[in-house]
Amino acid sequence: MHSTVIKPILAVYTGLFLLFLYGPLLVLAILSFQTGPEGGPQFPIIEWSTYWYQHLFGLTPPSRIAPLPIEESLVRSLVLAVATMIVSTVLGVSAAQAFRTRFRGSGVVFYLIVLGMMVPGVLVGLGMALVANTLGIDRHWWGTAFVLHVVYTFPFAFLVMLAIFNRFDQSMEEAAWSLGVSPARTFRKVTFPLIFPGVLSAMLFAFTLSYDEFSRTLFASGRDLTLPLAIYGTFSVEIHPNVFAFGVLTTLFSFALLGVYAVLMTLSVRRAKRVAIQEDA
Amino acid sequence: MTTVLQLSNVSKIYAGVPALDRVTLSVPGNSYVSLLGPSGSGKTTLLRVIAGFEEPDRGSVTLDGKRIDGTPAHRRGIGFVFQTFALFPHLSVARNVAFGLENRETGPSLDAAAIRRKVAEMIDLVGLKGLEDRGVTQISGGQRQRVALARTLVTEPRLVLLDEPLGALDANLRTRMRGELRAIRERLGVTFLHVTGSETEALAMGDTVIVLDRGHVGQIDGPDALYNRPASPAVARFLNCYNLFEGRLGDGAFVSPVGALPLPPRAEPLGGGPAYAVRYDRVEVRPPNAPVAPDEVGITGAFVASEYTGSSVLSFFQLPDGRVFEVEDHLSHRAPPVYAPQETYGLVWKRDAALVFA
Repeated sequence: MHSTVIKPILAVYTGLFLLFLYGPLLVLAILSFQTGPEGGPQFPIIEWSTYWYQHLFGLTPPSRIAPLPIEESLVRSLVLAVATMIVSTVLGVSAAQAFRTRFRGSGVVFYLIVLGMMVPGVLVGLGMALVANTLGIDRHWWGTAFVLHVVYTFPFAFLVMLAIFNRFDQSMEEAAWSLGVSPARTFRKVTFPLIFPGVLSAMLFAFTLSYDEFSRTLFASGRDLTLPLAIYGTFSVEIHPNVFAFGVLTTLFSFALLGVYAVLMTLSVRRAKRVAIQEDA
Repeated sequence: MTTVLQLSNVSKIYAGVPALDRVTLSVPGNSYVSLLGPSGSGKTTLLRVIAGFEEPDRGSVTLDGKRIDGTPAHRRGIGFVFQTFALFPHLSVARNVAFGLENRETGPSLDAAAIRRKVAEMIDLVGLKGLEDRGVTQISGGQRQRVALARTLVTEPRLVLLDEPLGALDANLRTRMRGELRAIRERLGVTFLHVTGSETEALAMGDTVIVLDRGHVGQIDGPDALYNRPASPAVARFLNCYNLFEGRLGDGAFVSPVGALPLPPRAEPLGGGPAYAVRYDRVEVRPPNAPVAPDEVGITGAFVASEYTGSSVLSFFQLPDGRVFEVEDHLSHRAPPVYAPQETYGLVWKRDAALVFA
């Protein structure tokens, strides 16, 4: 095939891909600067303003539009995401470590773990609600929903760590043992520092997946709503551009998180990169 | 001489295939022992069993009279130097060397100053002075080898296992490190067990050489005895300096595919045969019709090619049955031979230069 044909096709394809990826976000961002409170969530922009951002933080004079009920749900979602991240990452690292030696039944256990991310969220959420009702357990975002979040994000952390351990040179650990260092201390002093970039990736996966989890949480979280549920709840009444303003802020927050991840990653990968360069030389 | 390490009937089976088959051997203290074996002979498995990374299925491993099979690797007091060095990439040279002293579970507890002093001494001993703060990725292969060695030696193990320690170095460096390894060992008085697949390395390094053949010990001997009197045809084959003929022992001669070969006069056949072996450098090449003396053995072969190695020339002859027969001429006492390709020559050796295995 000639690159003269292929290249323009690929360019158009990539352009369309980017458009579909970022188009909705862009529309959202533009509409969030609609004037208020009379401006609605549609074009044309009557007048550019930051009214809806001020509205989010309660800085506008009272109007018929109620402020977004997100304050508490935001805190809930952040706490839930952090807790899920910690538990899933610890579980993921330990499980992947266990899988380094092929134990009896490891194949079955592998699929059992991975099942957590395969089964449809609505079913699991509904199932959890039924089980909780039957057993008389109250449904809470920090209880039933938290368990489902861990079941869902743990396989991701596990798979990331499995890939990391796959490329890990075991002789470094054996070298530490032969120096008289116990396996536990070897893990802390040798293994963990070397797999840390992978642990960061696992944490990022677990956090972001939990933070915007919807379907599982819908049935399992009970009375107090998490952020995705709270935002969805406002849609059922009437949509105002304040939701868009909040979306923009959340996206910025995500980018900030990615930035932190990138910095940490660069710092810990820089050493590994030097290894690679030296090996080639 | 005292025995440091004793293995009795050690067997290890992987998926039904025995990697080690009733290995029994002892390693004397304060000595350099090389363990020679081709790939697949189980030499790395043997080393890993001694170090405690694998457990034997049967048999016992004893260090200084105490059984250590079943003891976890970090409580055995046996050092291990890896072929790939396995340095800790996130630590500097000095921190790599200090790692064992700082983190080990047992052993005399040392304060920071004592550790620093020991580390500095060891770095000096292996010739790494000035590189203490370098990352282990910023130094050359030979220097990494020294870090791996220093890291192990500073913890003062009773026995150091070296798994093809020179395999990852280039030829020039390998020769230099051979001498240095021996010198460092002598200065510290520990025992080295050096695994290698190279017969020259095994002979050059070891006070004692252990030959491992498909999971069992083929021979344990001094390098000189091993080279001149391999205990079996298999050992002779690893040494890579013997022409071997299979066949059977007849009356006063060995019946081989290229004819009857008269036995050496004082024939006391070795085991593992039947086979007949003659060393490459014991063979003389003559014109095809030259007479063969009564105390000599003669066959004929067609010259194929030769290989010049500097101090000697290795010539290849094809025998009537198709096998290749090698002759080594040392150039210090013979002029470089010139043979015509495809021309037939007489290949002659003294009867008592041959080894016969029954």
